Amino acid sequence: MLNFDYRRPESLDEALSLRKEWGGKSSLLMGGTDLFLAIEEEVRRPELLIDLKKIRALSGLEEKDGAVHIGAAVTYSELIHSDLVHQKLPGIWESSRLVASVGIRNSATMVGNICNAVPSAESATPLMIRDAVIHITSASGSRSVPAVEFFTGPRRTVVKDDEIVTSISVPLMKGKFGESYVKLGRYRGEDIAQVATAVLVDENWNYRIAYGAVGPVPMGIPGAEAVLKGKKPAADLIEKAKSEVLNTVSPIGDIRASKEYRLHMCAVMFEKAIDAAVSRMETGAPAYGARLI
Amino acid sequence: MVREIEFTLNGYHQKVSVKPGEKLLDVLRDKLGITSAKYGCGKGECGACTVNLDGKTVRSCLMYAVEADGSVIETLEGFQRLGKKEIQEIYQKHNAFQCGFCAPGFILSTDELLSQNPDPDEEEIKEALAGNLCRCTGYKNIFSAVKEMVEIRKGRES
Amino acid sequence: MSKNTKVVGHDAVRIDMEEKITGAALYTDDLPFGPNLLHMSVLASPHAHAEILNIDTSEAEKFPGVMAVATGKDYPQKFGLYLQDKSILPVDRVRYVGEQVAVVIARTKEIADEGCKLIKVDYKILEPILDVRDALKEDAVLIHPDLGDYQVIPWINPQPGTNISHIRKIRKGDVEKGFEEADFILEDEYHVPHVVHACIETHISVARYDYTKRLTMWNSTQSPHTQRHIMANALGIPHKDIRIIAPYVGGGFGGKAGISMEALTVACQKVPGYPVKLRWSRKEEFLNSSQRQELRATVKMGVTKEGKITALRHIMHWDVGASAEYGNNVVNATGFSATGPYYIPNVSIDSVGVYTNHPPCAAYRGFGYSEFHFGIESHMDRIAKAIGIDPVEFRRINAIKTDDEVAYKCHMNPSGMLECIDKVAQAIEWGKEEVSDDPDIVIAKGFASAWKAPAMPPNAGSSVFIKFSEDGSINVLVSGMEIGQGLHTAVAKFASEILTVPLNKIRVELPDTDRNPYEWQTVASHETWELGNATIRAARDARAKIFDVVSRAFHLEKESLYLEDGKVKDDLDPDFALPFEDFVITGIQTEFNTWVGGPIMGIGSFIPEFTNAMVDPDTGMGGHPNVHYTVGAGAVKIELNKKTGVVRVVKMAEGFDCGKAINPDLVKDQIVGGFIQGLGTALYEVCIFDDKGKMLNTNFTDYKIPTILEMPDEMIPIIVEVPQPDGPFGARGMSEHTMIPVMPAVANAIANAIGLRIKDIPLTAEKVALRPLQKDFVAEK
Ligand SMILES: Cc1cc2nc3c(=O)[nH]c(=O)nc-3n(C[C@H](O)[C@H](O)[C@H](O)COP(=O)(O)OP(=O)(O)OC[C@H]3O[C@@H](n4cnc5c(N)ncnc54)[C@H](O)[C@@H]3O)c2cc1C
Ligand code: FES
Ligand code: FES
Repeated sequence: MLNFDYRRPESLDEALSLRKEWGGKSSLLMGGTDLFLAIEEEVRRPELLIDLKKIRALSGLEEKDGAVHIGAAVTYSELIHSDLVHQKLPGIWESSRLVASVGIRNSATMVGNICNAVPSAESATPLMIRDAVIHITSASGSRSVPAVEFFTGPRRTVVKDDEIVTSISVPLMKGKFGESYVKLGRYRGEDIAQVATAVLVDENWNYRIAYGAVGPVPMGIPGAEAVLKGKKPAADLIEKAKSEVLNTVSPIGDIRASKEYRLHMCAVMFEKAIDAAVSRMETGAPAYGARLI
Repeated sequence: MVREIEFTLNGYHQKVSVKPGEKLLDVLRDKLGITSAKYGCGKGECGACTVNLDGKTVRSCLMYAVEADGSVIETLEGFQRLGKKEIQEIYQKHNAFQCGFCAPGFILSTDELLSQNPDPDEEEIKEALAGNLCRCTGYKNIFSAVKEMVEIRKGRES
Repeated sequence: MSKNTKVVGHDAVRIDMEEKITGAALYTDDLPFGPNLLHMSVLASPHAHAEILNIDTSEAEKFPGVMAVATGKDYPQKFGLYLQDKSILPVDRVRYVGEQVAVVIARTKEIADEGCKLIKVDYKILEPILDVRDALKEDAVLIHPDLGDYQVIPWINPQPGTNISHIRKIRKGDVEKGFEEADFILEDEYHVPHVVHACIETHISVARYDYTKRLTMWNSTQSPHTQRHIMANALGIPHKDIRIIAPYVGGGFGGKAGISMEALTVACQKVPGYPVKLRWSRKEEFLNSSQRQELRATVKMGVTKEGKITALRHIMHWDVGASAEYGNNVVNATGFSATGPYYIPNVSIDSVGVYTNHPPCAAYRGFGYSEFHFGIESHMDRIAKAIGIDPVEFRRINAIKTDDEVAYKCHMNPSGMLECIDKVAQAIEWGKEEVSDDPDIVIAKGFASAWKAPAMPPNAGSSVFIKFSEDGSINVLVSGMEIGQGLHTAVAKFASEILTVPLNKIRVELPDTDRNPYEWQTVASHETWELGNATIRAARDARAKIFDVVSRAFHLEKESLYLEDGKVKDDLDPDFALPFEDFVITGIQTEFNTWVGGPIMGIGSFIPEFTNAMVDPDTGMGGHPNVHYTVGAGAVKIELNKKTGVVRVVKMAEGFDCGKAINPDLVKDQIVGGFIQGLGTALYEVCIFDDKGKMLNTNFTDYKIPTILEMPDEMIPIIVEVPQPDGPFGARGMSEHTMIPVMPAVANAIANAIGLRIKDIPLTAEKVALRPLQKDFVAEK
């Protein structure tokens, strides 16, 4: 039977001291769109739910000191409706629109998404390619962890039992750049990604490439980045980079997709994602949010 | 661990005692007589339990009632009193639903869409309704009804 | 008869629409039952096949708040509609994962859930049978060792000592000779997996047993009277003491036909006086309501080079799951009809129901026709291409026409097969090639024809009461269920047309077996036809009574009276106009100040009096199992992405011959809704089981039903009207049918696009993308 207590602190300090006191017996609640079901299915059995939604300090969404800061309580709907995000973090904007549907996005947060840390988490790869930093606080201090180091295994992150993620900051790009986020779902309606590809390219032809749902954690593909580095992509380069992708990813087959199809789509989506990112940098088209597959 | 929570429900102030593990959907249905929010999946996948919380649609099956403490909730029951009859009437005119079980969810999602975006294009309409599953209609009349609502609103503004 | 109708044949707002958009429509879960309401939870079997050695409920019974526990010991009886192979609670054996083993009744749902966890069951695990091919092996373990002892109706043929629940055979003409006459023969296998109805409302039942031994149930059901009958027989309670109330149903599609989980709430007998509620969770709905049978079909068809079909051999192995009961009628119905809508001189059909340790299967929109049409209609395209005839033309050549002999040698009812084919072909612009700007995208079209007959016992009956109120308004009492198909609007229109009362003065009341007259079930797309006929009889009965009283009171000729605008009028006296409200309750005052008449009521009932299910079991001949067929066709235009394999239906056209569209708008809605439901089963939907028989995708995250984003850009529903002579205003049913052409039409479109012939449903992006890359891939020409 569900038997837990519930607190809704109004300040971060209060939340941190609850966290310190209750540690692993507490769960942090944001939109709850993951946690609720984990509790329902008895995967998690917290004794205390600490609801962070009403903490003002976590609700900020702003540009400051060369980065966009996304508070832990910011929902996907807020991200999607933000001009700042649309303009400065277009890949994150594009991926946020593909999370679930409106009724979920109105509650679901990006921080909840990455803290839940399933391999298919929508926000993992777009944050990784932008060198985002995750800010984590406990009663005894704060630390910042690059997104690439945040995920330690399926449903596991570096966040400790007395800690709270307070925000994510995404450094602004200098100069021209293009991004893309391509999601493989079984149809256009709501689905959990079976493969996710995120690509960033800048005007000096530096690339960042990351894949989700094709390994235990979302992963960057440094081999492919190296192949393409400094060059405008040509067919032979793409082929070489693609084989780097295929050598790096390690998808499993499950009821959502077979291993073979995931691998096949890793390659197909790679081309689409590179193509879109480059073309967006150079021409501004296709518009962010346009369907890429 | 029972506690008393308060919120505004369809314009009326309500107080109700709940345990932290009680779902908003169950509390609305079993303690407050709200029947328009339906159980369809209990996992946030179908939209049948949609209610409007502080101006946004949420899945009431995926929330604890305690989370709603201090909020403003609207359900289909409050629609006519809250002056939102037009959405219902146009849906009715289009014979938009068959079994009707999904209707409350669609109506609330439509209300949210139109209050946020007075002139949505076809893709935006579909996107706004994509989280509501309907097994009967094939969505065609739902879609055409919303398009008409948009036209009517535009006509009124110009 | 359909001359100058005023409401029949014209569009109208559904009579249930206002209730549904305001929230006034109450579904079972919405009814208040007061503070006495108890909740039930079900302990489900974790095993697909196991003997139950012992069930220890003692801990559960002691748990505070638990009021009662029931197991198979309490309910040893078997039940079922066609074959009694179901247990309320199993006694000695579980046969599928999710099967109910015990129920707990408690104050709250949470306590009932906890109670279930405290029940200890000792199982001896048996090897599950999860494939019809294994179940049919000589040495296969028997899933129902006692099959020979089960009660069965005369025209269902279970085979004791095997896993066969029923066989329906058709032997018409000489198939071997037919194949000899053929210039071309194609034989192949097709597979359609288990899928589910996925109504948005899950099953729910509330039951109360009181100290007068009366059982009252509130069920989300398509079959209140049939449920009452089954329950009365199983429990030994007189019919009059069982009352089933059926509020609005949040989707049925056959899933709420007959009886399934409603049998469990009868355990309320253990707590007399208390209403007990059981609502399936979505997961339980997947596991333990009913699924659509899986079909493995072998189709062998011979044709002449001119394109005439000479012979068909069609062997269908249906995985009916752990109990066949209702599903046996699917096996039966498809056995008679698995030619598809074609005239074929030589036919051999074996339709075989086979038990497995999958969840039980039963009726699902289309009643097996969707499944076998996938094979037949795929075959039609393949053969047409092989002999160089256009697939649409090939269908025209063989299309069944009025009076043609069907597989069981009765004659085809009037029907517009060719008109359906032609109109659909025209709407989809058959033959017009289209090329996409995107080099990855191939645009192609696919076509399929379809037919279906209502499948029901030959004596399935419908009945109707019509009663007037003081203001001349009408309540029509039926037990035909409004499950979204618009039946009550059709009923209202029939009453309105004959009694000339406007629709806004008519209510059609939801079933209550105590008050509303008998209806067999709301299934088979037979209701507009059958309940419609009963309604017309009831309306005429009321009209006759009206004429009688008016003629007596005013000394008028009955023959010269007629109704118009809710008034009685007289051909012979243009000034005479008597509004209903003046007399339908009070009667009419005579010149002597006495009164004649009294409250007007109409009664009507109907059964088809020409059907006969008793056919020769070896040939299928000698009976008249079906009342009529409804024919139609469907076509799609797809955009297929060669790289991703994604198939998107961008346009569809479907046409059906409904005889007479009572509500053209609602007929079109059925076409659109059925098409999209079919699209789900064509492209995404499939129940996935592991090798122990456990279903893995029991939620909408992994069982994908179409959203609004899957809707084609263009949908063209087409109505064809060749009147059904015995139909109300010429109507026949068309609701289920609309799902049937979709799987083969999309499969044919894929083949037309890239030469890939997929013979196993669903037609996933994965198959479309990967199969052409396989070394042994040979493109269909
Ligand atoms: C129907 C449905 C569809 C979905 N579709 C998608 C989809 O398309 N793509 C996708 O990626 N996801 C999807 N999800 C999953 C989910 O909605 C997202 O992961 C969402 O972003 C989670 O955010 P939340 O705010 O609801 O997190 P919560 O459920 O509140 O929390 C998630 C986890 O993060 C922890 N947590 C929350 N906040 C903090 C914090 N500040 N510090 C440390 N830990 C914290 C919680 O304890 C919990 O373990 C879907 C879920 C549902 C129900
Ligand atoms: S019941 Fe809440 S989304 Fe389905
Ligand atoms: S009308 Fe039945 S689910 Fe939408």
